[in-house]
Amino acid sequence: MLKGTGASAGVGIGRALVVKEQNLDFSGVPFSGQEQEKARLTEAAAAVSQRLSAMAAEMTQRVGEHAAEILSGQIMMLNDPFMTGQMEEQIAAGNTAEAAVDAVCGSFIAMFSGMEDELMRQRATDIGDLRTRLLVNLLGLEDMDLAHAPAGTILVAKDFTPSMTVGIRRENVAGIITEVGGRTSHSAILARALEIPAVLGVPGAASQIHSGDTVAMDGELGHVYLDPDERTLKDYQARQEAFEAQRQMLKEYLGKPTVNADGRPVALYANIGKPEDAQAALEKGAEGIGLFRTEFLFMDREDLPGEEEQMNAYRQVAALFAGKEVIIRTLDVGGDKDIPYLHLEKEENPFLGHRAIRYCLDEVDLYMTQLRALLRAGADYKNIKIMLPLVTGLEEIRAARAMLEKAKKELAAQGLAFDESIQLGVMIETPAASQIADLLAQEADFFSIGTNDLTQYTLAVDRGNPQVAGLYTPFHPAVLRSIASVIRAAKEAGIPVGMCGEAAADPALIPLLLSWGLDEFSVSASAVLATRRTISLWSQKEADDVRAEAMSLSSVKGIQGYLSSMIKK
Amino acid sequence: MVSKQTKIVNPMGMHMRPAGMFAQEMMKFKCDVSLVFKDKEVNAKSIMNLMAACIKCGSELEVRCNGEDEQAALDKAIQLIESGLGE
Repeated sequence: MLKGTGASAGVGIGRALVVKEQNLDFSGVPFSGQEQEKARLTEAAAAVSQRLSAMAAEMTQRVGEHAAEILSGQIMMLNDPFMTGQMEEQIAAGNTAEAAVDAVCGSFIAMFSGMEDELMRQRATDIGDLRTRLLVNLLGLEDMDLAHAPAGTILVAKDFTPSMTVGIRRENVAGIITEVGGRTSHSAILARALEIPAVLGVPGAASQIHSGDTVAMDGELGHVYLDPDERTLKDYQARQEAFEAQRQMLKEYLGKPTVNADGRPVALYANIGKPEDAQAALEKGAEGIGLFRTEFLFMDREDLPGEEEQMNAYRQVAALFAGKEVIIRTLDVGGDKDIPYLHLEKEENPFLGHRAIRYCLDEVDLYMTQLRALLRAGADYKNIKIMLPLVTGLEEIRAARAMLEKAKKELAAQGLAFDESIQLGVMIETPAASQIADLLAQEADFFSIGTNDLTQYTLAVDRGNPQVAGLYTPFHPAVLRSIASVIRAAKEAGIPVGMCGEAAADPALIPLLLSWGLDEFSVSASAVLATRRTISLWSQKEADDVRAEAMSLSSVKGIQGYLSSMIKK
Repeated sequence: MVSKQTKIVNPMGMHMRPAGMFAQEMMKFKCDVSLVFKDKEVNAKSIMNLMAACIKCGSELEVRCNGEDEQAALDKAIQLIESGLGE
């Protein structure tokens, strides 16, 4: 078995087609005169440009305009007067069209791949792609066309360039395997959009797998079997059917209300990191946004985003979710999240240091800008709620509220519209906040439990450290008791309580959360439908029984084993 | 020659989409158009040159136009940059 990164869920079974890099050696091509070489170059560029345009048009129609953007960019680069000018200079110096293309593209690739900006580094791939296409055309080689691969093809390559992925379609491609790339690579994003299983980053895949081999792969676990034995094949076929059935079944939960088996409604929201993610969350059935992280606005740039820019980003999501709640968390910087231009000091213990609300309360100008932007963004739809990260004491809520009131006065004096009654809540993610949840509930308008940090801080485990990551588990009774007491404190004070950590989507934990009376579950967009289904399977009585039994157990193993065995299929 | 100082306002700076759009618009003019950024002069009709200059949001730069329709080109360039290059 080969292992890689599961990048697009699903099970693929089929015959491998190994896409080899073509032999682009042009050392044997003779120089046939300046005019002749220039004409060859012009002809090749025109042909490639035409082919890319056709591909872009097809891609726009099949997947959407956004998917075709990379191709449109390649066409513009190909027709760039500066680049073609450099190639013509190379030819004038006595080089073949092939050598000119290779040298000029090569220098641009070197330049772009040395850049700091990730977006710019990706352009190196685009130019490499252009070089290949031009050379293939000049050398008279066959254009690779994946659109005509037979049904049930598992595509295998070192990497797929953007123009190679254009021909990939669900009807004929059963799976994708590459040697390089991860969950955020171009191939991964396209595979998920097309719902094709993908395992990326499999070392040696293109040399160990041969065209015609039977391959069974799991795009969730990242497993790849070559010529699987009958048992494995049967197992994979069964899982493939189950996965497809599940995908179809979950589609039935789209557009339905979220209710438990007794018909009691529960709020089911999504977590997002960028305004662009809001649309996908809405399409996946989210009834609100339970966590909108604002770090993205501050990242990949050289200075702070202004009030207007922030307001526009927040309002974009508020408008899309008009009539539904949007909980926006103020800047959670520090810990493992660095923003270079803020020049945060290196700390001995960044997770216990000057981060999140602690940092923001000290950086008054920065925080006032964000609070003003949030207040103004709430003016039209009155659906924005502000959430404070990493709170450990009442003083922090009071300080933030004082700044919020000051911001309101300023805005009123300036005659700018804002949401006068915007709510201010607390993310419960430290043991301190959990212990004094009853006190915090007197001054916070709502709670949202962040189980990822709460687990890490409660158990004193850095889950990024492989030597102790095994100790990180929300099934620890300390974490479960902590969650129970936070929900109880919120209920007693009469404020709503949600959860925005990964635990909210865990089918083994959902009965506990339902039994305790969690009001709102906020999960990743891809988990919304499965969570709605799980919630619908539990009645209050059943959930209460499971909760009572689980909380009577004392070990992580015992609790996790019991709750996992109670998962409803 | 005419020229004017301006500032990039779109959040992602001169990446592929805005650079391509800007170069295409500038190609419609006969005059030479360049951006002077960090003491370097960049051909504004070239998407590759624009991207290679690594111009980020907030960068101050000068637009220079030289040729028969220079004023029209300068006005258009400033308008495009200040309106966020279509983003």
